[in-house]
Amino acid sequence: MDTLVARKLSVSAALAERPVNVIDNLDFSLAPGRILGIVGESGAGKSMIGRTIAQLLPSLFSVSQGELMFDGQDLVTMAPENRRELLGRDIAFVPQEPMSGLNPVLTIGRQIDEHLARLKVGSRRARFDRAIEMLEAVHLPRARELLSKYPHQLSGGMCQRVLIAMAFASRPKLLVADEPTTALDVTIQARIVQLIAEMQRQDGTSVVFITHDLRLAAQICDEILVLYAGRVAEYGPAREILARPSHPYTRCLQLANPVMGGVRRGLFTLPERMPGLAALSGLTGCAFASRCPVVQDDCRTVTPLPVEIGPAHRAACLHSSLTATIAAPELPVEAAPSARAPLLTVSNLGKTFRIGRGFFRHESVEAVKNVSFELADNEFVGIVGESGSGKSTVARMLCGLETTTSGTVVVDGRDVSSGDAASRRHLLAYAQMVFQDPQSALNPRRRVGSIVTQSMEATGTGGRAMRLARAQSLLSEIGLPPEAALRFPPQLSGGQRQRVNIARALCAEPRILVADEIVSGLDVSVQAQLLNLLLRLRRERGFAMLFISHDLSVVRYLCDKVLVMYRGEVVECGPTAEVFDNPRHAYTKALLAAVPPDDPSSAWSSPAESSDSDVAASNSLWTGTPESQT
Amino acid sequence: MLATVLTLIGRRALLSFLILFIVSVLLFIVLRALPVDPAAMSLPPNATVAEIEAKRHEMGLDLSLPRQYLIWLSHAVSGDLGSSIQFRRGVLGLVASTLPATIELAVLAMLVASVLGLAGGLALFHVRGTAKEPALDLGTVVLLSLPEFLWALFFILVVGVALRWLPFTGRIDPDMRLPVTTGFLLIDSWIAGRPDIFRSAIEHLILPSLALGIAFSPAIMRVLRSSLLDVYQEDYIHLARLRGLGEKHILIRHALKNAILPTLSLMGVQFGFLFGGTLLVELIFSYPGLGNLMVDAVRNADLPIIQAVGLTYCIVVLSINTIVDSLYVILNPKLRLQ
Repeated sequence: MDTLVARKLSVSAALAERPVNVIDNLDFSLAPGRILGIVGESGAGKSMIGRTIAQLLPSLFSVSQGELMFDGQDLVTMAPENRRELLGRDIAFVPQEPMSGLNPVLTIGRQIDEHLARLKVGSRRARFDRAIEMLEAVHLPRARELLSKYPHQLSGGMCQRVLIAMAFASRPKLLVADEPTTALDVTIQARIVQLIAEMQRQDGTSVVFITHDLRLAAQICDEILVLYAGRVAEYGPAREILARPSHPYTRCLQLANPVMGGVRRGLFTLPERMPGLAALSGLTGCAFASRCPVVQDDCRTVTPLPVEIGPAHRAACLHSSLTATIAAPELPVEAAPSARAPLLTVSNLGKTFRIGRGFFRHESVEAVKNVSFELADNEFVGIVGESGSGKSTVARMLCGLETTTSGTVVVDGRDVSSGDAASRRHLLAYAQMVFQDPQSALNPRRRVGSIVTQSMEATGTGGRAMRLARAQSLLSEIGLPPEAALRFPPQLSGGQRQRVNIARALCAEPRILVADEIVSGLDVSVQAQLLNLLLRLRRERGFAMLFISHDLSVVRYLCDKVLVMYRGEVVECGPTAEVFDNPRHAYTKALLAAVPPDDPSSAWSSPAESSDSDVAASNSLWTGTPESQT
Repeated sequence: MLATVLTLIGRRALLSFLILFIVSVLLFIVLRALPVDPAAMSLPPNATVAEIEAKRHEMGLDLSLPRQYLIWLSHAVSGDLGSSIQFRRGVLGLVASTLPATIELAVLAMLVASVLGLAGGLALFHVRGTAKEPALDLGTVVLLSLPEFLWALFFILVVGVALRWLPFTGRIDPDMRLPVTTGFLLIDSWIAGRPDIFRSAIEHLILPSLALGIAFSPAIMRVLRSSLLDVYQEDYIHLARLRGLGEKHILIRHALKNAILPTLSLMGVQFGFLFGGTLLVELIFSYPGLGNLMVDAVRNADLPIIQAVGLTYCIVVLSINTIVDSLYVILNPKLRLQ
């Protein structure tokens, strides 16, 4: 008997005048010991599936038809007490944000003990022994010591291991992992995914693996279900789907993702956004029609049903034969970076943080050591590394947000590392920063127009009308309608907010942009839009950029040069193609190996073999380097 | 954890000396700027100008202000805060005999405010999203807008005068006598083995502490409710449900422990205000505490008492803040040193 079967499952939201199906006619089955990947952009309804399994739907949401059978019992109609009995015991969950998944005021030991008590594991002593066994099973060293720690004393990867240990404590029949690695570093992602696969094999657990990353899903899942606006776009064996995507949406997602190997190709940009709840309510025809590159007339009137296109492979497209014709755009020809004197020269840059609150006791952490590089006009340089490697500190020092401890920063022939008022002015005339999280970087109570022209406000240039005109021209440059100037940030989507964030930095006509993780946390389609936008803006107006990212494929697509940082030091640097194709340093090799390969049939090899560096690195996190708190 | 708490208390103690010094200087300047002449007041009304001048010289009032302050400070450091002009008794003794009464009242009132506040906060949280919510919400707004002296008058009229259930003047029945050991009636009556006095003291405390406590409870209710609402948005609550834990267990073991933190820091601030609020309540209930002493001193321009009581309030508020911050460290693991 299959572990989890959905038949004609629909979840509707009673939001507008008529109910809207946020999950529509979902059909799938998950056999024991198999892994089903659920893939799609945010808003596709991926997480709603996990919530439906637990029947913890938001208010106004309810299952409107169909059934969801777990082990032969319908979860939807089951009595709540019986369902609660299943949760945590037969159905376990691993969350997206491991740090916030654990209660901050209780020790790890207390939380594991509570879970074991819920599973009716005998005495306190037995639960203690069991807890240590569990932590050792997920390869956490010094388990006994760990039990008395609080979540904030652990790294994200360690917290996720603790949560995985708890999830597998009862040898559940079903595990629901909702983006379990999105919040983690790429090397840790690889280990966590492999840990889930290892535990799953041992216990014969079925897994629902929810992710936005098609490549990752293809690596570990047996089957993949591509979800679009709550509807099944494509469903079938994982390798089959990646090798022969039959729904245009799957193909577009695949082409929006930068490749790690082979020839660099252009990124496919899906226009606009997935229809929201309001747009879905009156929808006729295919939900993807508004964004589909191969849309036909009948797509807007006829609702496609999933049709068999191969063994166990279904796609809900009227014209699935056209999918193969969708191709990646040509890579735009870039002007070579100018060979003139470098715009920015960083030599032996260092930063030491003093921590500790004692009167006399101070500990110091060298967050950045001896970093040197040059940035030429029109050149994009990437900095890659794990969190805590010091890459954000470098960015902040370059923008004057952090003082330097040692070394020099020369901008267009002038040393600005002293940090006095004159050199700050000089620096800010050249460099502007784009921050990681547009939600917190944009003041929610100011209109987009005044946010974008903040630098004019600071220098006191221009009146109201001039600022509005400038805002509108900047907005059209970054692909937003001029009316957006009058909106507030919360009225925009995540991708639009990040565009506004970029426009704000561009307002002062900087020759250097410092961009700190500006595409992480965004959907691949939005990411592709932003990356292409940055390339287009460089062609149109010309600027250099320091691009900080943990995503190697993005850096490979965008950057001319790359610096690899590890524990505050640059361990390798050079032209991107050279570093990625022929890495010299062991750390660079480990980083590259941690990225799931483009081709699902090639093995995702090495990360597990090297030592558990998330655990090792987090030992240093216990002393609290500044970046570990971000 | 203990080390952290001790460090905190030590550091606070050092800081407190500085704060007390500044407050005492301010008080001294303000009181000397008042248009009252302590020398003239301490003499009979028919004293001549020459007699007053002589008295001024005797009291040191003809010296410069800094000199006067230094003299006061050197006495204060050795434990002599001067003597009251109207009672002709040491100020320290007066404060020491009235402070315990006020502390008893304030602690009991805080207890009332906490119990009501926590219970009300839980009730407000419990009815969230139901039809009862607006009604309860309105109730807290009404509570919030009624000051403690209105509650005091209400209780005196209803419980004291109309129903005659409880006494509403003084600390104990006027015919009771008790040797002073600590000054705290609730403790002294136990030491002396007099349950009747203990009972009487409690009865006298009920109305004033209810009046004061009720007035301070709605803010606690509202903060607890809103921090519970915040905590219930957190992933670990959702995940606890996904582990099959019951709602009651989640509330008590997971949500309250986190929601109590902001509530606690509010209660610390509230306790400072509440201590100041005793002044009015003591006046209404003729309760012989620090408040009544202060009001009396202000009325008679008894500068040494005003100065001493002002400093006492300052010390009490500083101590409360230190206690609350220590509790905060104990309850919030993130604040503990590693």
